[in-house]
Amino acid sequence: MTGQHRSGQAGDQLGGPAGTEEAEKGMPTCPAGHTSASSDFCDVCGMRIGAPASAQLQEPQEPRSQEPQAPAEPCPHCGATRSGRFCESCGFDFDASGGSRERTIEGVIVPPPGTGPAPQAAPAEPPPPAAPMPAMAEPVPEPGAAAPAGGDLAPAAGGPVVWTAVVTSDHDYFEDVVAAGGPDSAALRFPDYCPERRFRLAGPEMRIGRRSASQGLEPEIDLTGPPTDPGVSRMHAALIAEPDGSWTILDPGSENGTLVNGTEIAAGVRVPLHDGDRIHLGAWTAITVRAG
Amino acid sequence: MSEPDFTVEIYQNEYLPEGGRDANAVVTVATSGTASAAPAPGADSAEIIIVDCSGSMNNPPSKIAEARAATAAAVDVIRDGVAFAVIAGTHQATAIFPPDGSLAVADPQTRESAKRAVASLRPSGGTAIGQWLWLAHRMFTSHPAQLRHAILLTDGKDEHESAEDLGTAISLCEGVFSCDCRGVGTDWEVAELRRISTALLGSVDIVPDPAGLAADFSAMMATAMGKQVADVSLRVWTPQHASIQFVKQVAPAVEDLTGRRTDSGPQVGDYPTGAWATGESRDYHLGVQIAAAGAVGQEMLAARVSLVATSPSGPEVLGQGLVKAIWTDEEALSTRIDQHVAHYTGQEELAQVIQEGLEARKQGDEDTATAKLGRAVALAHQSGNEDTAKLLAKVVDVVDVATGTVSLKKKVDDADEMALDTRSVKTVRTKKQQDK
Repeated sequence: MTGQHRSGQAGDQLGGPAGTEEAEKGMPTCPAGHTSASSDFCDVCGMRIGAPASAQLQEPQEPRSQEPQAPAEPCPHCGATRSGRFCESCGFDFDASGGSRERTIEGVIVPPPGTGPAPQAAPAEPPPPAAPMPAMAEPVPEPGAAAPAGGDLAPAAGGPVVWTAVVTSDHDYFEDVVAAGGPDSAALRFPDYCPERRFRLAGPEMRIGRRSASQGLEPEIDLTGPPTDPGVSRMHAALIAEPDGSWTILDPGSENGTLVNGTEIAAGVRVPLHDGDRIHLGAWTAITVRAG
Repeated sequence: MSEPDFTVEIYQNEYLPEGGRDANAVVTVATSGTASAAPAPGADSAEIIIVDCSGSMNNPPSKIAEARAATAAAVDVIRDGVAFAVIAGTHQATAIFPPDGSLAVADPQTRESAKRAVASLRPSGGTAIGQWLWLAHRMFTSHPAQLRHAILLTDGKDEHESAEDLGTAISLCEGVFSCDCRGVGTDWEVAELRRISTALLGSVDIVPDPAGLAADFSAMMATAMGKQVADVSLRVWTPQHASIQFVKQVAPAVEDLTGRRTDSGPQVGDYPTGAWATGESRDYHLGVQIAAAGAVGQEMLAARVSLVATSPSGPEVLGQGLVKAIWTDEEALSTRIDQHVAHYTGQEELAQVIQEGLEARKQGDEDTATAKLGRAVALAHQSGNEDTAKLLAKVVDVVDVATGTVSLKKKVDDADEMALDTRSVKTVRTKKQQDK
């Protein structure tokens, strides 16, 4: 035989994988830091090699934007310093399995109004947030812009009240959590950069949590980062639409609890929400409720 | 000429429970191509037929007569252009065609000459199979053909050399040529021929009645003529801190390849699969143990399985598949059992309990034999392996098929017992190759 066997799945001559990142310069590095000739899974440890480094360029550019990979983020599981998607010492998955940065940005995060498409550092990258949004998380117009003058909370005439959840990081709350001295509080770190995320409340309920492919969980308010708040449970709480058009919050019994306006709410009890209410959960996550 | 395309498919439940460390997968390798196209002209193929010519082949005389006829029938199937030869085996080995110990190029004339030489075979002498393999090895290696295949026929035990001598010869031939072994009558040793066929990636079977030899030889030779790609290896990469528990061919027959590993790089080992024809499909069962289980939600590659052919320009990857591990705390996911994995796990056990049951029976341990063969009856029934079920029914009386309640037959035909033994490794495919 002359050895011209071909297969659609053929890879390189050495039995390595078929390259997927043909544009890659040099060898890919896996989350654990191994240099790998394969670009899908690490040659050494088998870890999936995460989103290409160029994905960072899709982060909205902020004046004091830092390295989005937050190099010093501690592992919430064992406290080791993060150096990639997986924790080097315990294997914790920072992206909570399946939550790749790209999908988060393209699928869920609504950029703060007025910024428009983020400046592109790499022209080759597809434009980010202008892309289609899932029905549950539509872009929300800046409340100030169209709201009736005088800041009246009453709905605009003829239009239903639009409820919005605005997710930010809250440093004061974070300090309270650390001061409370929970078992892992020493390892907690306030994120250097946390883009504001807005979710329009729609449908019968809006679950707050982190996406999990393995558990089939796709919360409507998906707090998968980065930065990911290690204190937020996969299924942390739910915002429930009441028949009268208002919303309540229910914590089904999350590990670390949920606060509304600074008071911890009881598990399993629906607490009514009002415009301006502040929900706190995890180590530093704050959700402000907007109605109007 | 047309060469087959290889496809590699992986069947597994990639979800492991928290703390789970064992990743299991069935790897289905299939070849396809323009099946109608005539296979290669044969310039790269070599065939040697090794015929037992010991004194016992004359007892009854029909044995040698049928062996001659079978060899002639096989010679007729050899395609033009294929290098071939015939060896007569006794306590030594003799090249009877071509007599100078080279390989002849098949054409109508050389085939006729070969058949004339075969017709003149007269049995006498002993049996030293290692000697036959030595000569075949020398003849094959003196020829550049890469697709090397032999058919070995014997009717008796390997008596005129030590088991060690035979072992040395087998390891010499390993990886050089493949060999299908046939035992005619019931005076040969299943374990002995299985040792050869396993090492040389061939089949072993009993031909109880010499009259059946010719058809069997033609079929074997036709299969050999269909082979187009020589020396294909299953190359398995595993991550650091993981080890391979086993690599077994499980279809069309169970063949444990675990011990056949040749390291071909860091964390990479090759397992031989021999030669492939267009339209073939074989299944392999792979078990990988990961030293430290991952965290829930973590995904890792447990094995990268490639199919690699040796070619003049170096190893060439024909296809590959990925065996993954994803840890989950969702029991519904981690407790799912892949039906292919489950099926072949059963087929492997079936082969094992048959061989153990027959061995126990031979040793006079009737309780063990009854238990093992009963289990075999139940497994064969559950998996729809009817051929094996029929063979079992000749050795045991089945009381209840579902529970595997059996009693040993008082009188069992030697040929039936040997047929069950040799064919115990034959598996059936899963009823329906369902998509995941």
